[in-house]
Amino acid sequence: MTPLLASLDVTFKALAPRSGDWQAILPEICVAGLGLLCLLQALILPATQRWLIPATTRVGLALIMVMSLVPVSYWNSSEPTFAGLLMPHLPLIGVRLVFLFSALLTSLLAESFLRERQASVPDYHHVLLIITSALMLLGQANHFVTFFVCLETAAVGLYILVGYLRRSAASLEAGVKYLVMGGLSSALLLMGIVLVYGSLGSLGVKDPLNFVEIQVAIEAGKFTALTLVGTALILGGAAFKLGAFPFHTWIPDVYQGAPTPTTALLATASKAAGAFSLFLLVNVPFHGLAVRTAPLLAVLTVITILVGNLGALATTNIKRVLALSGVSHAGFLLAIITVSLVQPEASAIKWSAADTLWVYLLAYIVGTFLTTQALLAMPTAEDHHRPILALRKLFRRSPILAGALGFGLSSLAGVPPTVGFAAKLLVLILLVQAKLWWVLGAALIGVTISIHYYFSILREAVIRPSDDNEEVAVLPTSGLVRFIIGFLAAVTVLGSLLIFI
Amino acid sequence: MQISPSVLLLIAVYTPILTGLILLTLRKLPQSFASGFALGGFAIPGVIAPWLLAKWLSPNTEIQQFISEGPWGFGMGLNGLGAPLLAMTAFVGLAAGIKALTQEVEARNTYLGLILFMFGGTLGVFATTHLIGFYFFHEFALVPTFILTLFWGGEGRRSAAMQMALYLTAGAMASLAGLLIALDASGLSFNEATLVRVVEALAEGPHLPQATAALILFGLGTLASLFPFHSWAAPGYSAAPTPVSMLHAGALKKFGLYGIILLGASSLHLSQGTLGNWFLGLAVANVFVVGLICLVQRDLKQLLSWSSVAHMGPIFLGIWVAGTNGKAAGLDAAAFLMVAHGLSCAALFLLGNAVRTRAGTYRLDSLGGMASRSPILAALFIAATMASIGLPGFGNFWGEIGVFLSLGGLPLWLQAIVASTVVISAVYSLRAVAATFFGPATEALEERYRVAPFGDLGLAEIGAASFLLGASLVIGFCPAIITRSTNPVMTDIAAYSQRAEIKLSKPAPQRAPQSPATPAR
Repeated sequence: MTPLLASLDVTFKALAPRSGDWQAILPEICVAGLGLLCLLQALILPATQRWLIPATTRVGLALIMVMSLVPVSYWNSSEPTFAGLLMPHLPLIGVRLVFLFSALLTSLLAESFLRERQASVPDYHHVLLIITSALMLLGQANHFVTFFVCLETAAVGLYILVGYLRRSAASLEAGVKYLVMGGLSSALLLMGIVLVYGSLGSLGVKDPLNFVEIQVAIEAGKFTALTLVGTALILGGAAFKLGAFPFHTWIPDVYQGAPTPTTALLATASKAAGAFSLFLLVNVPFHGLAVRTAPLLAVLTVITILVGNLGALATTNIKRVLALSGVSHAGFLLAIITVSLVQPEASAIKWSAADTLWVYLLAYIVGTFLTTQALLAMPTAEDHHRPILALRKLFRRSPILAGALGFGLSSLAGVPPTVGFAAKLLVLILLVQAKLWWVLGAALIGVTISIHYYFSILREAVIRPSDDNEEVAVLPTSGLVRFIIGFLAAVTVLGSLLIFI
Repeated sequence: MQISPSVLLLIAVYTPILTGLILLTLRKLPQSFASGFALGGFAIPGVIAPWLLAKWLSPNTEIQQFISEGPWGFGMGLNGLGAPLLAMTAFVGLAAGIKALTQEVEARNTYLGLILFMFGGTLGVFATTHLIGFYFFHEFALVPTFILTLFWGGEGRRSAAMQMALYLTAGAMASLAGLLIALDASGLSFNEATLVRVVEALAEGPHLPQATAALILFGLGTLASLFPFHSWAAPGYSAAPTPVSMLHAGALKKFGLYGIILLGASSLHLSQGTLGNWFLGLAVANVFVVGLICLVQRDLKQLLSWSSVAHMGPIFLGIWVAGTNGKAAGLDAAAFLMVAHGLSCAALFLLGNAVRTRAGTYRLDSLGGMASRSPILAALFIAATMASIGLPGFGNFWGEIGVFLSLGGLPLWLQAIVASTVVISAVYSLRAVAATFFGPATEALEERYRVAPFGDLGLAEIGAASFLLGASLVIGFCPAIITRSTNPVMTDIAAYSQRAEIKLSKPAPQRAPQSPATPAR
């Protein structure tokens, strides 16, 4: 009895978190705490003071953003924590900024949208914050247990947010579709993890779920055919989140049916989670397989960019256009991941592939939310029914919204002087340096095609109608909407300067 | 206190952009105030740029003086080709600004602001020293061009703007790939990659595959309406509002040629091998086929747009020939024609619109006899037409004659085809003048005159047009203003192109018989 207890004690002491471990994830803890605070506030606040809930969330998120930008070693250490469960392999500041920023913007967009539809604001914010916290941890995962738990926490939260409008058939349908497809991808992912675990464990690897140990084992040549099958399934699971070909088919349907703020969250946070985890997986545990994964990723990049862009060409619903253009952006993210395998060190620019990844994601977030804000401010009977033709005369009805659409779409299309251009330029420079000519060609063709559908949307908003005498009703915008648009438009322009200075 | 030229350059580029920004944000500014404000934005570069050109030409100026690597994103500086083009852009922009101020349009402040953006971006193209900055400013100027065409454009704006956007993006993407490959091959870091350094590094360094040259030629060629990638140009200029057509066809389009000369002609051996043959063929087609297209135009603005495409042909030919014989003459003539064409083409668009506002139509068969109603308009239009077809005295003469002379080594039948352009352009231009201003007026026009009698040109339009034509006359009578600036650069570039040729013949022995044959001609 005593020796068993003694050995348990040793194990417990080895695995027990140290105080530094908690410090290392302080921002994540704060986000989760903020999520719990939402529920608490909903419980105790009288109805007249419910406005405090989103306000607290936003102030809290902004403070946590500032906090994660402060370069102190407490929450920026690169050491493994929690006995190797977590270890930041990616630029921590970038990972945190991407998820915090998209959560903050989703909160800003969601409040009035939910109120108009009599849906609960506190619950939405609670789920949003838990998702954000899980995704921030996902970016630091060093172990397949953390990886899977964080991914599933976020996925379950997203199922809720997609089907959030219970009175809307479209929202429910999208929720069910997402649940079925997401469940399938999670099952395959889990299967892959188990295969890797089993095949490596039978070869004597001590902890065949730990990323670093898997990396060491595979680079030493210790793997079997089953490991390769497992790897393929795991990468497929991450590619599903990212929305890369051939796992992109759920994207247009779910994005169209989901409540529009959730669509923006799916397009940014969920896609970022897929990009970060794919980057992590091919660069850390499966780095020894780069000879096999790099060509595969390059081919998928080319197909993803072309499929996304060509699909968007023939689409007339704005939400579906943005969904399919998101697929092509996933192609650009895949291109960065491919470059990280082919040529990890860039020379002509100060941004490495890992940095480019989060810079690109931030630029994409800004463009997506600007466009989404313009969409949300336009009245519509059904949230999922937003045809391009509904934008007619927008420039006359509200120059501010037309401007938001212009800035947002220009940034998504990658037109100077927007931050989207700077981010795309970084990717193209990386591709040239890595000499991935086919991928470069596909990226350039993709940008050219994308001009057609982005420009079609903008054209409806900006073109002067031929029947000039018709009266147009002015579309009022609230102060908050104007603030968000002004802020994001400024970021769109100044962001490109920040990248190159 | 002495203000350094580089600061002036910064002011020249950023004044229009900032003025435009203020007009866009304060859309409710009273009209008179906004007009004065916008005029300032248009006029300040118009004062600074010629002064800089004069300063540039003064013998004791060092190039380094003009380069500023301040915290402005991209460094600013002039080179021998950029300086005259900057001055030309400032002139065209001022004229376009005056035209825009006299127009009655909806959402006037936004209109002026966007034109100012376009103007500032175009100035930036010729004022920046950075390889990517050069691309950046061009795209920056194009975005307002699309919006201006869509909202304030004329007939056919819907399809024209989309066609323009697709062609120009495809061209820009191909050229961006070429620029990035050149940047990578030069071994320079992003921050030190100025145009001059990249060109020098490429001339010294390892030679690039000719696919790079093809990307630069066809990418930038699309932006400069090289046959057969020209079909966006005429509908695009026709559908755009007049100040936009003036700035785009006159100044902004020269971006493509500027890039082809600086990057392509210098060290990417554009004019050699298979690509060289293609280049020659397409440039001749630009002269001849597009010239024939001009002959069948029945709409004044369409005709002006097409003729602006046709006039790119001699410029391409001048660039081509310098790459084969290594002499600066072809490039000098091409650069001269770039400046002169900018001035004459802008003047024609300006005056063509004056015809339209009076007669209510651009259709040549509905016009006629306007010389008796508007003699000053007729005189200026005829002068601008003469400038455009290369009458001695105007700047275009030196450019066209220079290109023809530099082509002396070509087979005679090819020279004959190229020279036929003079005849063709004289035919269609003079026929348009005759149909518009002389002969009997059509009944519809008489009727229109009875209902709303139109007078002659206003003072502002006379000023703007004579400003452009005056500048063309000045460089026509004193061509050294341009050539003294361009010649040193062009000599270097022509020399680089020959150095590159020696390198080319080494790794590709099958081309060796061609190389010695070329200088012998």
